[in-house]
Amino acid sequence: MTVDIDKVTGPSGAPAPAPEAIKAIQVRHYGRWVSAVIALGLLGLLVNAFAQGKVNWGTVPDYSFDKDILKGVRNTIWLTIVAMALGVALGVVLAVMRLSKNPVTASIAWGYIWFFRGTPVYVQLLLWFNLGLVFEYINLGPIYQDEWADFMTPFLAALLGLGLNEAAYMAEICRAGIQSVDEGQTEASHALGMSQAKTLRRVVLPQAMRVIVPPTGNEFINLLKTTSLVIAVQYYDLLQAATNVGQTSGGTVEMLFLAAIWYLVVTSVLSVGQFYLERRFARGSLRQLPPTPWQKVKANVGSLSTRGTKGGGGA
Amino acid sequence: MTAMVKAEGVHKSFGAIEVLKGIDLEVAPREVFCLIGPSGSGKSTFLRCINHLEKINVGRLYVDGDLVGYRQQGNRLYELRDREVAAQRRDIGMVFQRFNLFPHMTAVENVMEAPVQVKRESKAVARERALKLLDRVGLADKAGNYPAQLSGGQQQRVAIARALAMEPKLMLFDEPTSALDPELVGDVLDVMRDLAESGMTMIVVTHEMGFAREVGDALVFMDDGVVVETGHPREVLTNPQHERTKSFLSKVL
Repeated sequence: MTVDIDKVTGPSGAPAPAPEAIKAIQVRHYGRWVSAVIALGLLGLLVNAFAQGKVNWGTVPDYSFDKDILKGVRNTIWLTIVAMALGVALGVVLAVMRLSKNPVTASIAWGYIWFFRGTPVYVQLLLWFNLGLVFEYINLGPIYQDEWADFMTPFLAALLGLGLNEAAYMAEICRAGIQSVDEGQTEASHALGMSQAKTLRRVVLPQAMRVIVPPTGNEFINLLKTTSLVIAVQYYDLLQAATNVGQTSGGTVEMLFLAAIWYLVVTSVLSVGQFYLERRFARGSLRQLPPTPWQKVKANVGSLSTRGTKGGGGA
Repeated sequence: MTAMVKAEGVHKSFGAIEVLKGIDLEVAPREVFCLIGPSGSGKSTFLRCINHLEKINVGRLYVDGDLVGYRQQGNRLYELRDREVAAQRRDIGMVFQRFNLFPHMTAVENVMEAPVQVKRESKAVARERALKLLDRVGLADKAGNYPAQLSGGQQQRVAIARALAMEPKLMLFDEPTSALDPELVGDVLDVMRDLAESGMTMIVVTHEMGFAREVGDALVFMDDGVVVETGHPREVLTNPQHERTKSFLSKVL
């Protein structure tokens, strides 16, 4: 009580002392410690089991940067990027077609999605490769003429098989994104005299991106893993490379582990890229963007140092 | 002098529900024309017909002498193409109840967008004019803010600046203050008052009877899809002739 009275009457002219920060004993989360110990223990057992197994682990680092393995990694990444680019470009077009007032384009898009989403991608890959049975020659007049078998290289079969399949999924993702944008946005844009196409490009799609990007990141990662199926069309991807190297020198299982590690590395890098892309398209919809990991680190370091000086001043 | 807006027997239905049941009215240039009425009376729908956001089913609607949404040759009406409708809309500014600013653009980018995209103005020119317009609505210091960082009243004033950037000959206001906190309404009404004084033709759907009385040149009371009463705002608001107008005003005044 006396302290309170002092605080009220005491300072005449002198600034009132800042209210004291709460110093309390934090709740102890024993459950967290227990679960961490159990999880680490189980992980240790698992690692031990693998270490004891009949796997020659030494060959994994030895072949990590093997010329053939690296070629497989490069091919896998390249195929993923090109197929995804094809998928996204065609997907946006299909989504717009499907939402169009024109019943012809809407039906074409519906039919495309129906076919490519309704059949397994593995089957599609094989079909592209063997389409020579239907089209013996490819004849684009003066531009290009060849026999189908020569025209349809493993890379092209893989690209078309994966890319056209991906487009069907991307079309649905883009459609969901476009439909998520408030109708008032389209109306406002139309009221300003902007055309249908400008409204889509300048107003709707940029806002749809916020809904489109996260599942597209998933699709990208998924596609990267699906490229392991292109072994069906004899394209030299990471899995094919690992299998080849495994059979000739490195050991089959060891090289499969190596392939798994490489897939993990690439998907992890992609996840980081996805984070920054999502952040970019959150502009305007959030008052404050979420901090990047680097900003988080800086903020933590900063808060530690200010805490230190405050404590010093108070003591 | 041609009327800025002229409606002749305008009907509009959504499916089986008839929302407008024959609207006839005329808005003179430089006039501030207020539309009041209970919700569901069709006043917002009528406003949206004027810039062809809704298609009318019966009647004729003219803006500055031109038929809205159609071209008449002899006795036949031809629907306009999307491009031609867009061209008609350029001269008609619209302000929405829910602002509808583009959230991925800053305030100044919102105002610049249509002049750059539609009128092909250079970015530098459009930006300079946009900044002047933002200054006019009292938001010069908020040019770089995104809509989410602005209050409702500020957003609505940016929306007004955005519509003005196209230098329209007619401005449509669809309950511009209905989504605002009471203490923010005044700022928006001040901007609208300035605009009225500058001679802009304005059609305002509103529940702000004070604004209608002070600024309005004409007032229409709509109910159930028809015009019930027309007149000078002061007369209609103080001395309504029809029962329905009386009972509505007794509830809102």
